[in-house]
Amino acid sequence: MNSTEQNTELLSVRNLAVEYSSGGVPVHAVNGVSFDIEVGQALGLVGETGAGKTTIAKTIMRILPDHSVKDVSGEILFKGENILTMSEPVMRTLRGGKISMIFQDPMTALNPVKTVSAQIAESIIQHQGVDKKEAHKIATDILELVGISADRADEYPHQFSGGMKQRVVIAIAIACNPELIIADEPTTALDVTIQAQVLELIAKLRRELKTSLILITHDFGIVAEICDAVAVVYAGEIIESGSKEDIFDHPTHPYTRGLFAALPDMYKDVERLSPVDGLPPDPTELPPGCSFNPRCKFAGDECCEEEIEIVQISPGHYCRCCRINSLGGGE
Amino acid sequence: MANLIECKNIKKHFSTPKGTVHAVDDVSLEIQEGSTMGLVGESGCGKSTLGRTLIHLQESTDGQIIFEGEDITKRNKKQLKSLREDMQLIFQDPFSSLNPRMTVKSTIQEPLSISKKYNAEEFEEETYRLMDLVGIERRLKYSYPHELDGGRRQRVGIARALAVNPKFIVCDEPVSALDVSIQAQILNLLKDLQKERGLTYLFVTHNLSVVRHISDHICVMYLGQLVERCPTKQFFEKQLHPYSKALISAVPSTDIHHRRARIILKGEINSPINPKPGCRFAKRCVYADERCYQPIPLAEITPGHYVACCKAKEINSL
Repeated sequence: MNSTEQNTELLSVRNLAVEYSSGGVPVHAVNGVSFDIEVGQALGLVGETGAGKTTIAKTIMRILPDHSVKDVSGEILFKGENILTMSEPVMRTLRGGKISMIFQDPMTALNPVKTVSAQIAESIIQHQGVDKKEAHKIATDILELVGISADRADEYPHQFSGGMKQRVVIAIAIACNPELIIADEPTTALDVTIQAQVLELIAKLRRELKTSLILITHDFGIVAEICDAVAVVYAGEIIESGSKEDIFDHPTHPYTRGLFAALPDMYKDVERLSPVDGLPPDPTELPPGCSFNPRCKFAGDECCEEEIEIVQISPGHYCRCCRINSLGGGE
Repeated sequence: MANLIECKNIKKHFSTPKGTVHAVDDVSLEIQEGSTMGLVGESGCGKSTLGRTLIHLQESTDGQIIFEGEDITKRNKKQLKSLREDMQLIFQDPFSSLNPRMTVKSTIQEPLSISKKYNAEEFEEETYRLMDLVGIERRLKYSYPHELDGGRRQRVGIARALAVNPKFIVCDEPVSALDVSIQAQILNLLKDLQKERGLTYLFVTHNLSVVRHISDHICVMYLGQLVERCPTKQFFEKQLHPYSKALISAVPSTDIHHRRARIILKGEINSPINPKPGCRFAKRCVYADERCYQPIPLAEITPGHYVACCKAKEINSL
């Protein structure tokens, strides 16, 4: 994260800001987000509903609905080229080819009237210039790779269970050997034992194909399991980022600490949970200064005045809080 | 402590064109007054159906439900109405369980007016008392559900359930739709209310961390049947049923330094339509052999710890 070595970066997001327009009111969904992903790295974007995680993902894929987006600024550099200024034909070679996305809800991500192999073959034909027959063969192989037997290739999505559908969605995402996969809550709609199967599959594919990954989730357990680096998103900003060890062993920002304290733990007895008081801010009316200040028990006057810069607190570990020194140790 | 509610060999079957769905099959359990029973399992295992059958929101196909010493399955419609004051339900999805055209105040007042216990003045007073109790600001009394966030909506759902002063509440995944910081607020609220009012809960959830936090006893359900039942503490120290073991090991842990061995189950949950006799988990179980295809009842393996597995003793070297 935030490394200065240019050569290993696959994706570099710089000062990304996305503003929606809702009934004429500007909605500040993403406010100056920057992060880097190195080749082969898995970054977890963690945050609560409405924090802007999915907007970041969709902006990278350039699949935000035009009619509701008012303004996108900043840069998203994929191997040094800015995705935001690419022409649509160029973008089309990237999308599904070099960067692909796994969507949250496998029930709605698939086309109900096409067989699963046809849906996988679609992107293979588009990106690899092979004929239909060849593409169907590749599609069948990929289905086997994600654990669906070849004889089910010509079935329709409704004939599969939730976990199997998510495997099909993953098969579509890896069909063209992408360099980056963006997985948006890939297991949220699944049961835990099925989630374990899908997470195992994602880990295996990453080992074998060396793909970089952006994993969007609200579940710290999944991040602990899959990711190397973590960025915590709050009100459209990254408020803390670093290696997995930085965030799990030394959570520093009051919000990150609050999230950990609010989690019930399966391996510990906790008499009473410590919820984060209040609610996330309304993205149409963000508070001045630190966007977490209305809920923060450490907040002082300086937190409500000017914008807070993200600072490095140890090598690779960044935190957006002006009162770090008065918070006490990292635990 | 005495049992507030218990059910004996309760069954709930649904007929469909494809056959009979055995949603709940031969479940027996008891819940002590003032305690919380956690009911865990994956989607489709019948845990919500069991919860609804227990409070007689759905008529059971067979079996007894004994509430305060009386079998309530024998009650007629009119007698059931008074039962509703003793038993309430908190729903999973606060987005769809509230009437979108009713304000917070009228939602909470509806059960109050049905109970006919209050005069006009007490009626208002009681409404505000309930709002204070669950932590909804009084200024929100004329708000509609769509104007509230998920946490507040769930608080309205809780206030509505508490309005008739119930003794027993079935909480059906009450925090699954909420973010972690809000989830903790609602869990604390439910615990506080239990302490203050001596409530008894059946807490239905798929989240094992939540169940550890909130419940005194735990039941694990698989395809309409209980496979394990014991005090929560005992359960998290050692699970005895192979399915419970797999379920616990599948939960991603936030402990990055101690990776736990994970049991990855093969395949998916079978169909609950016309299930074959024997252990319903056998098809996915690594320990299964021909013995597992005989009917297997829940048996007390160690004191207070009930398991439905004919190989429980050898697997756990007991």
